[in-house]
Amino acid sequence: MFAYTMRRLLQMVPLLFAASVVIYTLLALQPGDPLDELRRNNPRITQEQLEALKRSYGLDQPIYVRYFKWLGRAVRGDLGYSRDYGIPAAEFIFKQRLPNTLLLSGVALLLALLVAIPVGIFSAVRQYSTADYAITFLSFMGFSMPIFFLGILLLYLFAVAIPENISGFPRLPTGGVPDLLWSDVRSGNAGLFQFIGRWAWHLILPVTALSLIQMAAWTRFMRASLLEVMNQDFVRTARAKGLDERVVLYKHALRNALIPIVTIVGLAVPGIFGGATITETIFSWPGMGRAIFDALVAKDYNVAMASLAFLALLTALFNLIADLLYAVVDPRIRYN
Amino acid sequence: MAIVVPRSAPGSQSTWALAWRSFKKHRLAMSSLVVVILLVLMAVFAPFVAPYSPTAQPTGEDLGSFYFQGPSKEHWLGTDDLGRDALSRIIYGARISLLVGFVAAISSVLFGTIMGTLAGYFQGKPLRFYLGPLNREAEGWQPLTFAVWRVISWVLFYWALYFVARLAWTLAGDSVRSLFSGAWTAGNVFAGLGLLLVWGLSAAAAVWGGFGRLKLDLDVAISRLVDFMLTIPDLPLLLVLSALLRDPGVAVGRWAQAVFGDAASVFIIITILVLFGWTGTARLVRGAILSLREQDFTTAAQALGARESRVMFRHLVPNAMAPIIVQATLGVGGAILTEAALSFLGFGIQPPVATWGNMLTNAQEYIFSTPWLALAPGFMIFITILAFNYLGDGLRDALDPRSRL
Repeated sequence: MFAYTMRRLLQMVPLLFAASVVIYTLLALQPGDPLDELRRNNPRITQEQLEALKRSYGLDQPIYVRYFKWLGRAVRGDLGYSRDYGIPAAEFIFKQRLPNTLLLSGVALLLALLVAIPVGIFSAVRQYSTADYAITFLSFMGFSMPIFFLGILLLYLFAVAIPENISGFPRLPTGGVPDLLWSDVRSGNAGLFQFIGRWAWHLILPVTALSLIQMAAWTRFMRASLLEVMNQDFVRTARAKGLDERVVLYKHALRNALIPIVTIVGLAVPGIFGGATITETIFSWPGMGRAIFDALVAKDYNVAMASLAFLALLTALFNLIADLLYAVVDPRIRYN
Repeated sequence: MAIVVPRSAPGSQSTWALAWRSFKKHRLAMSSLVVVILLVLMAVFAPFVAPYSPTAQPTGEDLGSFYFQGPSKEHWLGTDDLGRDALSRIIYGARISLLVGFVAAISSVLFGTIMGTLAGYFQGKPLRFYLGPLNREAEGWQPLTFAVWRVISWVLFYWALYFVARLAWTLAGDSVRSLFSGAWTAGNVFAGLGLLLVWGLSAAAAVWGGFGRLKLDLDVAISRLVDFMLTIPDLPLLLVLSALLRDPGVAVGRWAQAVFGDAASVFIIITILVLFGWTGTARLVRGAILSLREQDFTTAAQALGARESRVMFRHLVPNAMAPIIVQATLGVGGAILTEAALSFLGFGIQPPVATWGNMLTNAQEYIFSTPWLALAPGFMIFITILAFNYLGDGLRDALDPRSRL
């Protein structure tokens, strides 16, 4: 197992190298350069000044030279400055945006799993019942639903359309994060419960949109996985032994059915870090997905490159973790 | 002597007839099939179905009254911010969405099938990939294609070595020059040692390249490529690629513009969807081929002297058809969804061409005043994807031998 892990970690190096080369090249090939903004906003800027700026940004060198210089700095922890925000890219990504994204996507994934696993089990146990058909139908609707449509629908219904005097509740915020920060709580300007309440209030709509769609997919996974196991011989054996149906289900079937789920959850984790670009766009949530999108549009390449490389690293890492977890939860699997 | 083999025993039914019989029982899948056929008809006959042109804007006096009309007898779904008929735009939008969906799904499944088949068939059978010019094995007969490839591979190999050596000089050259002028700082020494190391390795590789031999494991190469595609974050790269390909300053962008004109962004979207969409099919097909190639009919075909390409594509692939068809059906829905998402973010198909995705983006701006404009395109995307998902589900049930037990 240790040797396997080591080998996989070593294999990750060329994989990540190739990924970062491709990402860097694609970014560098983008039409226009970061100086366009300056050219537009400052018509009096001279050609010499532009050339000097180009040299100071290193834009006069070929792409591969720029890449290796970036790589050399990046492995030493220097991810450069964000041109748009004027702060180090690492600080912008990891301090300002990542916490928001982890909150939104993490809560959504947790909620989706908490609902989907029991519902999926219920649906599989009562296969071909009315409830099973209803759940299957709903989950089909759920994963056919484009998140941007669901988001807009929820936003319109709960933040705009339903008047307060009918629902009895104040309208939900149309987007954004509350202006109450964690630092306010630490400095004693706001109470902890006030902080949690305000953030939860802002999280309701985006989390609902995101988790409804994930819920649909997880429910189907869980149902399919459990049905697959229930049809296997060892379950029949357990039943033939005269075991209680509940013991058969929870001790024999469910444990095996959860194995693939563990793997897929592992693979879904990098997605939490990457944020949900579309959900964040609809609900103006300042997270990673939106940060990457904005950085690409504004050609803030240090931010884009750092976040994309970080995501590639996480994806590769969680791929490995998912494979290892697979071996941990399923003793039949041996790596060598 | 000719042996006549009847195509099928009298009274028996082909696999496809059996599949159709079981598909017909899946009521939701059957209704989805009807929905899909209706959508396709609507898209094909859009000019006859649509009451107005999708891009016609009102002219004349009192223009303001034409914008943002609510649903009425003349405009069933109202008009948008430029006074265009929303229903006509929805109908024409179906053309783009279905075109993108079908072409992207079929192309990615085709490409994925080819890659998966190659990987599965050549698993554990590495191909001769590189033979140095001085390697003795080269003596004797060899196919012309391999001889040509050999020369190309030498050029590529030595060019790559030259490139690495030059890159090392570009990166470390300044430091090494200052070493010669007496600036013995740690950084400069480090750069100098690095340069020596890279040059030494390149020289060793150049010598090896004369005699050496490399084998290419197609399966490892393709599987690593799939892993790699899964590692790079897809949505941001889709955005980057679509911006890149749309740029007239880039050769591909110019070419697409010249060949496809207004439809260039449609072509670009399809290209991007295929580039990212083939990996799933490739994995699936590889697995299927791995088990099929061990079966007796494969050995029989090989023993009869069938060429490898014939074994792969006439014997193995037809037997893996069921999961491929299901994958293609589900892929149509997926491609439509991704296209809509890209158009929603403004990186997909550009206005004034109407697609459901860009109609929805446009409507989002006016969600507070005219919410119905967002409802129609969103609903169409939803229904179309739902129909393809059910169709795929029904096909899976019908074609999967396990479900027929």
